[in-house]
Amino acid sequence: MFVVDAWKRSGYFRVGGIMLAVLLAIAVLQPWLSQLALQNPDVSPMSMGTFEPYADPSLRHPAGTDKLGRDMLALLFLGIRVSMLIALIAGCTATGIGISLGFIAGYKGGWVDAVLRTGTDMVLVIPSLPLLIALAAYLPTISIPVMSLLLAAFAWPFTTRIIRSQVLTLKQRPFVDLARTSDQGDMSIIFLEILPNLLPFLGVSVAVGMSSAMLAEIGLQLIGLGPASINTLGLMVQQSVQSGVLAIGKWWILFAPVSCLIAFFVALNLINIGLESAFNPRLRSVTGD
Amino acid sequence: MTDARPLLTIEDMRIHYDSVRGAYKVVDGVDVEVHRNEIFGLAGESGCGKSTLVEGILRLIEPPGHIHSGTALFRPFPEDPERSLDLVQLDYHEMREIRWKHLSYIPQGSMNSLNPVMRIRDQMTDVVMHHEPGGQNEINRNIAAALEMVGLPESLGALYPHELSGGMKQRVCIAMSMLLQPALVVADEPTTALDVNVQRAVLETIAHLRDQMGAAVIFVSHDLAVHAELVDRMAIMYAGVVMELGTVYEIFDNPQHPYTKRLIHSIPALGGPRERLESIPGMAPSPLAWPEGCRFHPRCPDAVPACSSATPRTIELDTGRKVTCHLFDPDIDLEQGSA
Amino acid sequence: MKPLVSYVITRALMFLLSIWGAFTLAFFFFHLIPGDPVSAYLQQLEQQFSQTVDAADAAAMAAEMKARLGIDGSLPEQYWRFLGNVFIRFDLGPSFINFPKPALEHILEKLPWTLWLLGTSTIISWILGFVVGGIIGTFRNNFASQFLINFSLVISQIPSYFTALFALFLFGYWFVLLPTKGAYDPSIEKDLLNPRFLLSVARYAIMPAMAVVMVGVAGTLISTRSLVTTILGDDYLQFAHAKGLRRSHILMRYVLRNAMLPQITGLALSLGFVLNGFYLVEIIFNYPGMGSLFLSAIRLLDYNLILGIVLMSITVVLAATFIIDLLLPLIDPRIKLSD
Repeated sequence: MFVVDAWKRSGYFRVGGIMLAVLLAIAVLQPWLSQLALQNPDVSPMSMGTFEPYADPSLRHPAGTDKLGRDMLALLFLGIRVSMLIALIAGCTATGIGISLGFIAGYKGGWVDAVLRTGTDMVLVIPSLPLLIALAAYLPTISIPVMSLLLAAFAWPFTTRIIRSQVLTLKQRPFVDLARTSDQGDMSIIFLEILPNLLPFLGVSVAVGMSSAMLAEIGLQLIGLGPASINTLGLMVQQSVQSGVLAIGKWWILFAPVSCLIAFFVALNLINIGLESAFNPRLRSVTGD
Repeated sequence: MTDARPLLTIEDMRIHYDSVRGAYKVVDGVDVEVHRNEIFGLAGESGCGKSTLVEGILRLIEPPGHIHSGTALFRPFPEDPERSLDLVQLDYHEMREIRWKHLSYIPQGSMNSLNPVMRIRDQMTDVVMHHEPGGQNEINRNIAAALEMVGLPESLGALYPHELSGGMKQRVCIAMSMLLQPALVVADEPTTALDVNVQRAVLETIAHLRDQMGAAVIFVSHDLAVHAELVDRMAIMYAGVVMELGTVYEIFDNPQHPYTKRLIHSIPALGGPRERLESIPGMAPSPLAWPEGCRFHPRCPDAVPACSSATPRTIELDTGRKVTCHLFDPDIDLEQGSA
Repeated sequence: MKPLVSYVITRALMFLLSIWGAFTLAFFFFHLIPGDPVSAYLQQLEQQFSQTVDAADAAAMAAEMKARLGIDGSLPEQYWRFLGNVFIRFDLGPSFINFPKPALEHILEKLPWTLWLLGTSTIISWILGFVVGGIIGTFRNNFASQFLINFSLVISQIPSYFTALFALFLFGYWFVLLPTKGAYDPSIEKDLLNPRFLLSVARYAIMPAMAVVMVGVAGTLISTRSLVTTILGDDYLQFAHAKGLRRSHILMRYVLRNAMLPQITGLALSLGFVLNGFYLVEIIFNYPGMGSLFLSAIRLLDYNLILGIVLMSITVVLAATFIIDLLLPLIDPRIKLSD
């Protein structure tokens, strides 16, 4: 399995993997963790006025409370869970779209390839954030799945490109020729011969898709056009910027979600670098790993 | 012999590559001499350390590799043949002065040895300007002459490397190596990647260099046929040490060391009866842990008990004819391995 | 020069075709967003002037406005009309902001600010990233280089609006060194020849530029370092050392020159994406550039202005690629004119 290989071969992958695993554990255990921080089964992390507003960090509130009197730590756990969920759905969807289109383009070639490639390039040059902003601004309600799909809609061209180029090179490899001359069908060649070689690239693609979905999500929230009903880390950043926590010196309210997001990005990027250096020998020199 | 001092005397050269598993002793105690105006061949299977040895002399070993010990006394000054420089001890700047002016290099991968974004003439000018700065006209004349000598037109100087064929690039490298008329040229597998016709042309060019310019050449190749054709004297290397050393006639007509014999027999003889070629059984050993005793003994058909216990000495059979094997050592007890 | 002509023509055609395709996608995308900007605008006017207009008059006004905005009739009609206006008469139509001020005028007012702020920071970060990346690629085995590369791997992942927030906090609120909002001091007369005005423009740009530069430097640094690392392992570099060239010369002419060419493509691309990437930094600092303009346009669903800005971004990106395609064969000898 490629994950095990990458773990063995790359220190970057190990560090990124551990970071992501911690975040994932928080996301999974969030209901329990948030309760632990709230110490009251009747309130949710998002309900307002539960505590004193703007309390400084203390034993009772390790990350303080925000303007609306919510425990920041409980809220942060929820934010990690929601953001992770959105990023994961978006990343997987984008990878799904990207891998299908990339496969068709690379495997079929000819005019199919030309059309798909031109289309992908066009989507790439259209500035995606404005489009997202427009969509978000005029959709009546945005739930977690809708949000994820919106973000996925702009994250797929990257995957399409790498999968296409990989399929193009794999297609030329002797073992695929061998399969073709031995009369295997297209589907069996794709699933048995080509796909297994692409698994590390799928890992990269999911990670990149997650990163770019998160990035776009924060962008939306920062402009104030994201849905206020879903407590993502991006929304937490936006709310703290909005309430001017920097100007009143309560920097930790902003610092908490920002550092979680940065941890996310860094973890995903380290996993990428790790996968690339483990499976693409030409890139190994990139990191000197 | 008016000039008894050899051009280059390498003594007990050891080059190691450090790794977490220990030191790879790629070159492990080599003694050779190269005389003026001779073509000296270095032969052996890949991995025997011949390329590393010349890279060591050229001081091109990169970390984790390093020259562990040894001397390489170089006497490039014809007006003062006694004056010697130890190539191992020179600092970066002293070495830079020696390079190319006295000691030049025809690289192994000459396909990729030219800077892809500089014109040929500019790359050649580069060398001259760094060592013997002069007027542009004179430099251009020299470049034209050097190109002509390797059979290339002067107009080629205006081209970029990717516009040349492999053989042309190789000859550009040879022309470049002769620009400053050095005393010693190291040619590391210069013919390996070329097809047979181009190989021939390149070999002729190298022989020509020696005849016309009086340079000595160290010629590294795994291809014994090429050695037979080109070199004057040669050393057979195995597992980081020299197994046998002599003139090319001595080596080919009368090989002594069991390894040399096997090596010579692994090339087909032209015109003779078609025989099954012998290959040498077994695998080349790892430089991390060379075999005890004689390094060739696990693959040697003539091995005696002494071979696995005692390291063989180098025995001088005639003047300049050396072999490193217990079978030629009169002082050793072949059964016990003690002298 | 036949191949050159056909190369340029093919590229130019592809350029125009891509602009058209991307523009068409964007047009239908924005027009398919549900919303009635005209009635929303009229309602807003009613509230603003505390007047009620009866339904018939309102409908007439709405129709009149739609006609002037060019959003009456069926969608394909609108599309062809808009296409004609834009590509033949360079007219985007009026905008809601200060109706009927032309959308193009709005864009041309804001564009210089964005170009100044983001163009300058992109170029600065490229130069810094290239130089530092080159240096740590060359000397990559010391602690400082290791630290810098790992630090950059982290920094490059931080979105520029986070670094913007960080800078805002540090220099705007904590140390109170720099202005936090706007592009110049409004109390100073706005005159390009007034040195005090120029100074304030520079001062107001420092923080947003810093946010962009920090992230940009890290990206360029990482890619330059990896390019340099690859080049250092290339045969022509070892050969350059064997030639006894000076280290500084090798670094400049052999390493950096080979690394520079691919990086120039990177610079052109990031300049192309300048209009796309940094809306949020502008918004955070209330910088009067394209980002803030676009946000207002979206809030009003101002089709003409939105499409104008999108078209501008698309054109700049594609123009950058077009120019690279034309220039690269001229500056990089390895690339030939065939595709």
